[in-house]
Amino acid sequence: MKKIVYNKSTLVSLKAELLRKQEEVNEKKQLPQHKVVNFKPPPAKYNSNKNEMKKTFKDSLKAIDVEELEANRRSRFALEKKAELYEHLADISGSSELEGRFLVDFTSKKQQDEEYEKKEHEKQQDKEDFNSDNEWVEFTDFLGRTRKCIKSDLEYFVNRDKLLQKDLSKEEDILVDYQQQEADKESIPKPEMPFLVQKTNDYLQTLREKWEQKEKELLGKDKDIHYQDLLFDEARMHGVGYYAFSTDEAERRKQMDELVQRREETLRAQQETEQMRKKRDELVAARLAAARARQRARQGLPPEPAPPANNQKDFTTCLLEFLTEQKNEADKKAKEEEMKAKEEQEKERQKLREAYVREWDLGKEGVEGKIKKFREMTQEEYVEQQRSKRIKEFAPPRTSTSERSELTFDDSGRSVGKLKKSPKTWADVRPNVRIPPPPDISDIIVTEEQKGLYFSTSTQSKSQMKYKNFVQPQESIPIENELSDHDDDNTVPRREKRKKSSNHVEIEPPPTYDYYGPAPKISKTENPFKSDIREAYAQGAKSLENKPNDRQLSKQYDFTFD
Amino acid sequence: MTSSEMSMSISRKIISEDLSNVEFDTSEDVEVIPTFDSMGLRDELLRGIYTYGFEKPSAIQQRSILPIVKGRDVIAQAQSGTGKTATFSISILQSLDTTLRETQVLILSPTRELATQIQKVILALGDFMNVQCHACIGGTNLGEDIRKLDYGQHVVSGTPGRVFDMIKRRVLRTRSIKMLVLDEADEMLNKGFKEQIYDVYRYLPPATQVVLISATLPHEILEMTSKFMTDPIRILVKRDELTLEGIKQFFVAVEREEWKFDTLCDLYDTLTITQAVIFCNTKRKVDWLTQKMQEANFTVSSMHGDMPQKERDNIMKEFRSGQSRVLITTDVWARGIDVQQVSLVINYDLPNNRELYIHRIGRSGRFGRKGVAINFVKSDDIRILRDIEQYYSTQIDEMPMNVADLI
Repeated sequence: MKKIVYNKSTLVSLKAELLRKQEEVNEKKQLPQHKVVNFKPPPAKYNSNKNEMKKTFKDSLKAIDVEELEANRRSRFALEKKAELYEHLADISGSSELEGRFLVDFTSKKQQDEEYEKKEHEKQQDKEDFNSDNEWVEFTDFLGRTRKCIKSDLEYFVNRDKLLQKDLSKEEDILVDYQQQEADKESIPKPEMPFLVQKTNDYLQTLREKWEQKEKELLGKDKDIHYQDLLFDEARMHGVGYYAFSTDEAERRKQMDELVQRREETLRAQQETEQMRKKRDELVAARLAAARARQRARQGLPPEPAPPANNQKDFTTCLLEFLTEQKNEADKKAKEEEMKAKEEQEKERQKLREAYVREWDLGKEGVEGKIKKFREMTQEEYVEQQRSKRIKEFAPPRTSTSERSELTFDDSGRSVGKLKKSPKTWADVRPNVRIPPPPDISDIIVTEEQKGLYFSTSTQSKSQMKYKNFVQPQESIPIENELSDHDDDNTVPRREKRKKSSNHVEIEPPPTYDYYGPAPKISKTENPFKSDIREAYAQGAKSLENKPNDRQLSKQYDFTFD
Repeated sequence: MTSSEMSMSISRKIISEDLSNVEFDTSEDVEVIPTFDSMGLRDELLRGIYTYGFEKPSAIQQRSILPIVKGRDVIAQAQSGTGKTATFSISILQSLDTTLRETQVLILSPTRELATQIQKVILALGDFMNVQCHACIGGTNLGEDIRKLDYGQHVVSGTPGRVFDMIKRRVLRTRSIKMLVLDEADEMLNKGFKEQIYDVYRYLPPATQVVLISATLPHEILEMTSKFMTDPIRILVKRDELTLEGIKQFFVAVEREEWKFDTLCDLYDTLTITQAVIFCNTKRKVDWLTQKMQEANFTVSSMHGDMPQKERDNIMKEFRSGQSRVLITTDVWARGIDVQQVSLVINYDLPNNRELYIHRIGRSGRFGRKGVAINFVKSDDIRILRDIEQYYSTQIDEMPMNVADLI
């Protein structure tokens, strides 16, 4: 191992060197331009969206540097104010109470300015002389400023300095005074706006008055109002054909008439020129043809053949034309069909549209108060309906005919027990429309007055209405089980039974019987309309009144419900 | 309740549940008619259309005019400033019987200024037809209103309150009304207005033709239309196509509310290039901002709903005539108002809902013109702006320095 030889002095100097280096490094560290970091590209600091937004925001701040801007604005504002004040003071030099409070002597300044301009002129002429002839002197004013002036002017400046010194003792108060005055000016509403604003305001005021006048005119007269009346100097681009009509009604009409007239004239002129041109063209063509003919004649050629007529075409063009025609026709047909289909669809939709009732229309005149999608049935109607749907086999069993009570029903479900008291059925309340009797096809059913072949067991066929298709409920005959072996008397309706059991003389059926069958027997009691016709009619009419209620909506339109 | 009724009510329930999931689309068989000439309109009306400055019908005009003329109920949606008002105005004028001096069409809109504007459009387009149209709006002299209506008006364009009043007084007779138009329909059927619309509707003959028009038609509005419309034809726009290419949208980030004012002052020179509208969310703020701007020697005018109608009218006239160039206002101005020269909209406050954003920025870029919208956003507003941006699939960039070049 090598032994290092050293003494105290080397150690001390080493230490000193180290300290020096350290200091150097520290110093360097403090100088930003030497930072290593600075030479690196800026790290991607802003990863999230939020950060990015902040960045742009901060950047924009930097860009605008609002504080600086604000300061600039303020200083500009102040300077402008100052300039204004100066101008003001210069203008009213001598008369202002503020005079004498400022360092600038405006009275003399104004004169000076004028003189200055003159002097400047002279100065430039003999500048060199001036410089050499006059000695420059330096002096210090009471504020401690070193000023330079021409020797001859020294006295003047010193005087001014003294004056200033005198004034300056008052200066403090003056400044306060002025500021106060300014503040007062602002605190009370400015009687005068800035000049520009004032000027525009005045202009606008005159405009407003003009418009008001116009509006009054409009209101005053009971007359048609037109576009021109409402324009009020609007700055709007119109079409090239725009014409500002007069606001006076008579004048306007005149102008309108003229316009129409002009238009007609134009159209006529257009037509005329068109015709003229055609004529001229024809003439020119004829002349040309004649000239050509003459030329040919001179050359000894036969006259030019007439231009080929349109119908002389070669075969291919004919075929082509034929084919295209056919195609066009087919297209046309297809289109027509399509149109028709569309039209029909449209018609259907139109119908649906007409049937649609808007929710907001409910209750209006002509529209019922509530859409009832279903006509409300009375209990009886409902029972009726349900019974009519019922398969007869499932009907309650009929008990013996002799034991009829309120609880017995015939096969169509009507209570048979007490006919008169039973509630009216739907069929009963049908309006009593007088239907003319159907033409009789049966010889048998004729009135007695009629002569000829006549046979009847009935004695009261006089003026009876015959309902060919009417099946009287009471008379309805149940299907008899013909296959049944035992002949149960009970199942046979009463009348039938009576007939069977009647013991008067059996008469041979008439000869027409085989053909026409038996004449129906109609008795007064069996006429369903006989009873209470008036009431039935009233009820029928009522039901007719309610008729529009059952307007049925197609489901797709029906979004309403109670 | 019978069983069939029960089943009906069940199916009805199903239908109403279904509607919220149903996507409403443009009706299938909507014809597109490429020119005004081929629409079969009256000569005088055509002349009015051309002199007003229309040459070729816009998309909505190509599709909606005919169905309305045919008498169908129509729900029409189109981007702001693409000629919706003209669409229904043309249709109305085509289906009017000018020899019958009675109210045949009723147009309802949410603001008085809009109702007046519609009246103007109707009169302009129908200038050669001698049509009579009255603006029946609140804040005006009742007696005059009555006199004008008595005089006989073919079309009445109004706000619901006054119109209802006139109907109740039997001054506005409804028996000849064939058509009801709801402009800005989504606003009209919103909570605030729906009742009033219902009140008016109750006085109309049943099955009156109804036309709904707006740039924004939220789903819940479409859902309820079956209550007062019959099998309507729908012409709708998907929400990602609702912003116009011509309106460039920007934002300016401000840290504190106070800085918005300074930003606005800095932008003032840009504002006055043509005309500009500045939207605040409250009337008080409009007043405050106007005062502050005027104190700083900027010429601005302002308008909101608490001003007397006379003043509102005057401000509108001044702005329309181009005499005032910067208008500070509330959402009373957000919908429908058409001033051609407006090319810049500033949202001093972000609007309270997505629909209003579309309507506000739509005050610029009228009928194919260029427009710029600038949103002032505080840091916590940026989220809302991003939501709007995403909802309409549009782009809202930070405002560039050369924004003036875009106007």
